[in-house]
Order: sequence, then C-alpha cells, then structure tokens
Amino acid sequence: MINEIVIISGKGGTGKTSLTASIIPFFDDLVLADCDVDAPDLNILIKGTIVEERDFVGFQIPVIDYDKCNHCGLCHTSCNFNAISEDIIINTSACEGCKVCEYVCPTNAISMHDAVVGKIFHRKTIFGPMIDARLIPGEESSGKLVAEVRQLAREVAYAENRNTIIIDGSPGIACNVISAITGVSKAIIVTEPTISGLHDLKKVVHLIKMFSVEAKVIINKYDLSLSKAKEIKDYLSLMDLEVILELPFDLKFVESISNLQIPSTTDIPFFSSKKWFDFIEYLRS
Amino acid sequence: MKIAILSGKGGTGKTTLSVNLFSYLDKATLIDTDVEEPNSHLFLKGKLIKEKSVIKHYPKVNDDLCDYCGKCGDFCNFNAIIPTKKKVLVFHDLCHDCGGCSLVCPKNAITYVDKEVGKEFHIQVSENKLFLYGNLTVGEVSGVRIIESLKETTRNEDLLLIDSPPGTSCSTVAAIDGTDYCIICAEATPFGLSDMKMVVELLRAEGRNFGVVVNKCNLGNDEIYHYLEEEKIELLEKIKFDREFASIMADGELLINHSQYFRDKMANIARKVLGDKYDQ
Repeated sequence: MINEIVIISGKGGTGKTSLTASIIPFFDDLVLADCDVDAPDLNILIKGTIVEERDFVGFQIPVIDYDKCNHCGLCHTSCNFNAISEDIIINTSACEGCKVCEYVCPTNAISMHDAVVGKIFHRKTIFGPMIDARLIPGEESSGKLVAEVRQLAREVAYAENRNTIIIDGSPGIACNVISAITGVSKAIIVTEPTISGLHDLKKVVHLIKMFSVEAKVIINKYDLSLSKAKEIKDYLSLMDLEVILELPFDLKFVESISNLQIPSTTDIPFFSSKKWFDFIEYLRS
Repeated sequence: MKIAILSGKGGTGKTTLSVNLFSYLDKATLIDTDVEEPNSHLFLKGKLIKEKSVIKHYPKVNDDLCDYCGKCGDFCNFNAIIPTKKKVLVFHDLCHDCGGCSLVCPKNAITYVDKEVGKEFHIQVSENKLFLYGNLTVGEVSGVRIIESLKETTRNEDLLLIDSPPGTSCSTVAAIDGTDYCIICAEATPFGLSDMKMVVELLRAEGRNFGVVVNKCNLGNDEIYHYLEEEKIELLEKIKFDREFASIMADGELLINHSQYFRDKMANIARKVLGDKYDQ
C-alpha cells in the first residue's frame, strides 16, 4: 500500500509548504502532489521540468443562443446561484454547472459546454515525479481538481513503483482540504503559537477526527510565544494528539526560501537534529 | 465604499491589517468572510447583538410517492442523489442545492429540507463600529452561502471592510463581489509573490481597482517591487516584521494600541484608499 502523507494547517502561512519541501530530500521513493491548487508554490522550490500539461475540465457551463431565447426569464428565476441575470447574462464565476437552466428553458436556447477551470502539470524533479495544478483564478471545483491531482499521483506511483506520496494541502477546511485528506495514511498539521493559529487548529482537528485520519502536529515558530505554544500543547493533549515537532523561529528559514533553496538543505542546525530524523522515521513508517 | 482585504497566500497579515484598519477608523463596518477559519473576532471585543443560522437545503424523498424511475440521479451533476432499486440515497455533503432533482421528478416525490451550514454573528464593537463574521460548520464543503449572507446583511453600509479568505477560488470571488477597491496584503517572498500574481489575475478579470501593502517587508527580496513597478500597480505601504508585533498579535491584541509605527501605517493606508477625510 502506498504511504500517503498530507500536510495541512487550517490557518495559512504557518509554514506548510516550507516544511513539505524540507521533508522531500529525505525520501528516495516518492511522488509529490501539490494540492494547494489556488496557491501552488511547491514547484518554486522543487524546480522541475514539465513532462505533461493538460487542461482540467471541472464541469459544464451554460451557453445561451440568443437567437432562440425569448427572454421569458425562467432560467433566471430557476437558478439557485444567481448566475443568470434578469437580462439573461451568465455570470460564469457564480455558476456551479447544475444545468437546471438548460432543463427549464422552453425554447432550447441553452446548451452546456465543457469549462476548463484549471491546468494539471506532471513534472520531473530531482526528487521524483511531481503532480501539481493551478486553478484558474475565480473558478469552482477546487475539490475535484485536488482529487484529480491525487489520482494522477497514485497512477504515477504505481507505474514507477514508488511507495510514498507527499501531499501539500491548502489552508481552510472546505472541499479542497476534505479532498486532500480523505483516505491518506497520515496527516501532519502545521500550526503556530498565535491566537489565530490555535483557533484554526481546533477546526482542522475537528475535521481530521471526523474523517478518522491519523494525525500529528508540528508547532512551527514555537518560540514566538511560549505561552501560546503551551496552550496549544494543553489543547492537543486533551484531544489525544501528539506534538511531533517544535521548530524555533529562524530567519534563515525565510532567507533560504527567498534564495529559492529548500530550508532543510541549508545549514539550519535543526535539520540535523535527532528530533528531525525521528520525525522523518515516523513519516516513513 | 466597499473595500476587500485579500492575499492569495495565507498568513500574510490580512486579518492583522483588517482589524487594525477597522479599529483605526472612526466609523466603519467590518465583515470577516474567511468563514472556514475566521480570526478577526479574536481581536475585536464587543457585544453579540445577533446570531443567525445560514441554511442550505437538501432533497428528501417521499418513499410513498417515489417509483424509483432514476431521473433524479441521472440529472444530478454532483452525485448527491443516487436511486437504487428500493431506496433513493441522498448525500447531503455533496448536494449543491440546485433544485434539479425535484424539478425532474415526475411524481413530485422530492421536497427540500433545511440544513445549517454555518452561522453568522453580529457584534457591536462601539457605537459606530459594527463587526460581523461567519463560521462554516466543520465537514461542510463550501462557505460561499455564508459569505453571500454576510454581504447581503451589510449591503447598505457606507464604509465596509471585508477580511477575505486566502486563495483565489469561489469563496474569494464571493468576498470581493461588489467591492470598490481591493487591498492585497502581500509578502516579499517567492511564495508571496507567486500567490499575489494569481490574485492580480483574478482582480483584473473581475475589473477591480486595487493596490498592494507589502507586509513583513524586511523579510524576503526585492522582486515584488520590480513586479509592482512593471505592472504599474500601486504600492500603498510597506510594513516591517518585528518579533514584538508578532507576539502582540499572538496574544490577540491590536497593534495600533501598542505601536505608533503601526498606527501611522494604518493612517497612511486609510488616507490613500479613502481620501483626506480620514486623515485623523
């Protein structure tokens, strides 16, 4: 069975992608899946060359034939998403592709057409194959796109006999995150010692419990507030969740990213500590 | 005037900027539309004056009327209703509440029942300051309904600030809908720049006016400034990273109450975005 590891955070900007990138050099049998499809950044650090690029059709959107339309307004009143205006103009970013408008139109003026909502990339990197995607800004279906990225990553893993998939997730708790965590082997939640970090952690913990996913937590930049870090640990012990790593705030982290280097490949002492290697060992298990 | 504060990348300081700018202004309304992970309420104290459920609907099949013809399942694009030979299964979480299944049902066997997807909270912070936030129930797939509800409630506010969700997907589109101006809160790192470019693409496609605040400007590199210059995008303000700021925010305090530097920055952003009348 493939070891699928997802890195999520609830709150954005806690260091998900930097940590995901830092894990990567310690594996030699992995496939990378960047599932943060409306802010994909892993490829900035893990520079790869594109092997294949394809359009992602998320759903179908209506197209109106104005020669046939008699402006009866049924499509406008039937749409539950306010995606068709009173003067029968379609707002594609509000449309969810349900095709109710096509169904109710008495003059058959509406037909459904494929909507390209993103692009999927298959890249070759020095660490192994990477699948990532980019949702066209403003589009729907990020959950479906995430599912597609994971599916492709699995296909590549089977085809090349690779045993680990590392998934960089997105912030939040909605469809894109649910899609990133379902059926994984383990989840790593990256949090930070702030009032917002703790609040958001609680919602994401609730989510992983709901989906019965095995999870452990990293407190990043723990020394920015030792009291909040303690509050987080108290909360996690109540929830029976282990803090597997606590990383200090280190400006070298930001510097390495600004220089497009993976933090764990620079001279940051933490990455040669026993704690770090124990963590990698856990991920491999 | 309606102003959204958004970012692309998470953790750049949207909420920091939103709650401090809101607190700096004399009279304003703030809504936190990051309903998946709302944080503004952690910094703003006030009186809860209203709490409201945000509802979506999902289909319920009357077994006495249903003849298992399967038309509802054929119509549904979201695999939310699946007829079997003896029972029609409904998957609440997958349902988009489009109404299609009940439209196509020849036996009128399908009705809709309510389901709460989250809540809206109204908080009176002071006489001239109203703050609203939404909270999506864990397990629900989309916060768009709650965002739309918050926007509808505050439709007639004179000065509305909107703390937006990260990213550039449907919930961000819902948050910026109808705004007069957008403030992108960015970071000068390669991740910050890449994600900001996606936001710029979105704002241009939606025809919005916008400017950029570079937060934690002493971390990262100069590339973002070259980009802003090339693209002729207004740089509204630069705000430094300071461990002291980080620890004040970590405890849920407002920076404008602790730092003249930060207060001056808010004053300057308010003046640039709102005009001279907000030069306090």
